[in-house]
Amino acid sequence: MEMLIKIAHNYYYMVAILLFVIGMHTMLTHSNLIKKVIAMNIMDTSVFLMFVATGYTYGGAAPIVTAPANEVLYVNPLPGSLMLTGIVVAVSITAYALSLVVKIYRYYGTVDYDEICLIRSRE
Amino acid sequence: MELTNHFPALILAILLGISFLSPILYRWARKASAPALIASLFLALVMAVYLLVQVLQVGEFTYYMGGWPPPWGIEFKVNLLRVYMLLIVLAVSLWIMVYALKDLEHELKTEVMGWYYTLYALVVGSMAGMALTNDLFNLFVLMEICAISACAIISIKEDRACLEASFKYLILSAMGTGCFLLGVAMIYMVTGQMNYDLVNAALPEAVELYPNNMFAAAALFIVAFGTKAALFPLHVWLPDAHASAPSPSSAMLSGLVIKIYAFALFIMFYQLFPRSLLESIPLNEIVLWLSSMGIMFGSIFAMVQVDLKKMLAYSSIGQIGYVFLGIGLDDIIAMTGGFYHLLVHAIMKSMLFMCAGIIIYTTGIRQIKQLGGIGQVLPITMIAFTIGSASMIGIPGTGGLISKWYLALGALEIGRPIFVVIILASSLLNAVYYMPIIVNAFMQQEQFQHQVKPVPRKMLIPLIVGMAAIIFFGVFSRPAIVLLDEALALFF
Repeated sequence: MEMLIKIAHNYYYMVAILLFVIGMHTMLTHSNLIKKVIAMNIMDTSVFLMFVATGYTYGGAAPIVTAPANEVLYVNPLPGSLMLTGIVVAVSITAYALSLVVKIYRYYGTVDYDEICLIRSRE
Repeated sequence: MELTNHFPALILAILLGISFLSPILYRWARKASAPALIASLFLALVMAVYLLVQVLQVGEFTYYMGGWPPPWGIEFKVNLLRVYMLLIVLAVSLWIMVYALKDLEHELKTEVMGWYYTLYALVVGSMAGMALTNDLFNLFVLMEICAISACAIISIKEDRACLEASFKYLILSAMGTGCFLLGVAMIYMVTGQMNYDLVNAALPEAVELYPNNMFAAAALFIVAFGTKAALFPLHVWLPDAHASAPSPSSAMLSGLVIKIYAFALFIMFYQLFPRSLLESIPLNEIVLWLSSMGIMFGSIFAMVQVDLKKMLAYSSIGQIGYVFLGIGLDDIIAMTGGFYHLLVHAIMKSMLFMCAGIIIYTTGIRQIKQLGGIGQVLPITMIAFTIGSASMIGIPGTGGLISKWYLALGALEIGRPIFVVIILASSLLNAVYYMPIIVNAFMQQEQFQHQVKPVPRKMLIPLIVGMAAIIFFGVFSRPAIVLLDEALALFF
């Protein structure tokens, strides 16, 4: 019961982990290559969500400090800025993966991995 | 403001810089592009040697990127073990590049050569960064650079097998980095730090308060680095990727890229995690058994292969197992053996892939069966292959023996002789799949059937250097072992 209350209190972590598992499962089990790429993005995004959530403090203000430092609680800006880098990395991986899918499609005329295996086994 | 103080950052800057210059040079001054890459790799190597001298004189030191000390800035740490890794990465990549100059001409289209140099410099640069960095997020970024460019040096060949293999590699690598970043999030959540040393200082308290977070982080790290370094059940991407790539890329990927992740896992275990965490969950034990399984199954799969490069790729799965075995045994002598194997295997596997590359270049043969009698037409190549295989098996006089010797000694030291049996059994298995090739190549009476192009001298010189290096590290192992002993003493 105590565990459940903790989870309910930190539901955003739960959502992030759920998305991560969905992404990972789809990425590894689906045979459609485009879906694999989409799932990879879901997985990455879930990690970003998790990271940004760690920076949040209840009732925190945006971390813009004005000249006389007023005693307000601030949100931690570091995870957000780190995740900007993470997003850039995820975008470049997605672009590269999609370009590979295009090339594979040119060879086989399909983006389904099972069909590709079939075509290869027939040769 | 002396220049030599900035060497840790300059090594990276030079390699990343040349990666941007290569396509431009290739477009406007085609003749200068390959020498420029080799010159910058050499310059980086010289800097690394200087760092080694400096470390030997003053001991461990750190470098702050942009002058910002942690926790604000990124920190590079230079100690003996990291310099050892850096030297391996730079020296072996320089050596492979010399071989690649000739080999790439027939494997790639001429217009993409400039881009190949770019990717090559990126792979080397990111690995050099991974060897030095002392910051979790920096490690993540470098891992991603390495992953993308490592996939790209496979897919640049653009035939069907390469594209599929690199897509598979990319997906599994993305899973690896995803797991790593989630692990970093778990650690950041409880410590609020990214720098290894600060995390390490904050962790003992955090483990007490939030043990579940740390268990999750440890598991995620094993999956992340295990996938990237082809630890046994997560190795599925490796055979296709390493076998279908152009030969210099195969040498690079098998020789260096999988090793750097094993090194990163070592740093996570022994520098980032506090000793209490390693003792409370059997992390070493997990790595130990997975690596033992990898050693056995890698060799067993290699036996049934018909394609030469695929056999070498499966053999890599077995051999990376030795490095993990060193980490898993959790003993300084075994660890010395593991890290010595990292050096020796980087040389011998690269050399074997070069031999395979030469065989494909001169005859176009990839099947093991058709290699009978090839020793008469390609004598130097097959002698190099023999020495490389001898080192894989662990025949005295070659580097492979020394690392297995220390691993076995370490296993006996902590009283687990079962791992000595595993090491011996896998040596036998190695002999089972390497020896027939050599015996067939030299002993077969009938003439070699296929047409043979003459071997270019540019390809033979790296082979001779490789043979000399393997024998050198087999006979004069003392300096490297002493250095490793001193380097690893910092972590125990």
